[in-house]
Amino acid sequence: MAREATYRFDVFTTVGSFVVRVYLLRMVWTALYAHNAAPKDLSRHEIITYSTVALLMGIVMDIDQTRALHDKLHDGSIATDFMKPIIVPLYFFADGTGEVLFHAALLVPSVLIALLIFHIIVPAPAVLAAFLLSFLLGYLVGFFLNFILNLTSFWTLEISAVQLIVTWLTDLLGGELIPLILFPAVLQTFIYVLPFAAMFSTPLLIYVGQIPPSRYAEVMGLQVGWIVVLGLISTVMWRAGARRVVVQGG
Amino acid sequence: MQTRRMANVYKQYWRINILTTLEYRENFLIWFLFTFIYHGTAIASLWIVLERFPSMNGWSFRDMFFLYALWMVAHALHNTFFSTVGEIPDHIRDGEFDRLLVRPLDTLFQAIATPGQVFPDELVLALITFVAATLYSGVHVDAIFIIFVPLIVIGGALIDLGLNLIISTAAFWFVKVDALRWIFIQLEQEFTRYPLSIYSRGVRLLLTFVFPFAFMNYFPAAYFLHKNEVVMGVPPAAGLLAPLIGIVFVAAAYAFWRFGLNRYQGVGH
Repeated sequence: MAREATYRFDVFTTVGSFVVRVYLLRMVWTALYAHNAAPKDLSRHEIITYSTVALLMGIVMDIDQTRALHDKLHDGSIATDFMKPIIVPLYFFADGTGEVLFHAALLVPSVLIALLIFHIIVPAPAVLAAFLLSFLLGYLVGFFLNFILNLTSFWTLEISAVQLIVTWLTDLLGGELIPLILFPAVLQTFIYVLPFAAMFSTPLLIYVGQIPPSRYAEVMGLQVGWIVVLGLISTVMWRAGARRVVVQGG
Repeated sequence: MQTRRMANVYKQYWRINILTTLEYRENFLIWFLFTFIYHGTAIASLWIVLERFPSMNGWSFRDMFFLYALWMVAHALHNTFFSTVGEIPDHIRDGEFDRLLVRPLDTLFQAIATPGQVFPDELVLALITFVAATLYSGVHVDAIFIIFVPLIVIGGALIDLGLNLIISTAAFWFVKVDALRWIFIQLEQEFTRYPLSIYSRGVRLLLTFVFPFAFMNYFPAAYFLHKNEVVMGVPPAAGLLAPLIGIVFVAAAYAFWRFGLNRYQGVGH
């Protein structure tokens, strides 16, 4: 019941805020392209497509899928989960999956609006397929990054502020707001070393054709690399954290 | 008599706020970092975009930084003194609000003076940012600037308060107003970041005459930066009227609040 109410709230805010933000970014890019020399290989229509698809991705990417872990550590109910005959980390993964699927469903009206009202560019089927695969990999990078944040609740309970901070840094340094290829050269050198680019920038640059098919293997390999690294970190943290709970609960 | 009692309560309110903040110092530091990064990423985004595209409808990064800083001070002033108004819907939902009704002090005043973890850190940060933006943008600091900027900032905070109060009043009829608040906060925070002149007619109309956010920063900034833009028939000099607009808007919001309060029946606890 409580969740159902949250869902209704989500439909309204998600689709409503999507439309408002697409409007805003169209106005911003239009004003910028009208008064300046445009980048050679990224037209106004392409950059608006880029930002619109970024917002669509955000609808699914911004979910806190392992939130239950943080909540259960807060109220202590995690202790009983360890007694149940379940694989606990998998349980947290599954718990948030419903919300992910719900948001994936919200993509349907949002994508329709993007196509029919805002007329975004649709690439060739092969490029689209590569984009979807890279998006999935990007989602997993984001999932593990978020899981690591929630895992820190084993040690410190106040993580909401830190989570929001990471979200903003991801939005900016991951290329969700502004394509990373437009960043000043000084910043370009270090943003690609961070995992954020693997979340948004890689799939988006594939979508608008800035990353050619010849580089697909390389960029997606890097995404897989991040999944492995972050996956390992979260495994180590999970083990250490779970041991802590057992010790404390003795 | 009433005023003296209110002043007394208000003094105690700030004492408790500051003591609470000192008690939870780590939390405070994390939330300060949060405020810092929030405004930091917003300003950084403007810088990155304007580094690549130097003009937004004739506004440079220097202009845009000033535009942002002006909004930031007004918004921080509101957050410091009136953010508690946003918690009224929560009090209505859990029944706490009904207690305020039977006490012998103005209900809205009591809601405003409900202690929490409020600290003027954002305001301090905003003032520093504003001084930096003023120096950097090369705005001519004359007598008009010195007299009007504080008034404009107060007007901006009142516009913010008006919106906050309207949304909280809606909670008398609808128990959950989070979605509504969320959309409006977004409208205010993201649309005030850019010059009003980049928007289409409907949005200009909305931000000038319905929810006058454009008076928080766009019109005054256009005036101080000597922009020759007339939007919706309103010249930049109208930005100096921001304090007046703030008072009118908050008065309208307060009338709506009284209307809602008179019809309020409780949520059935």
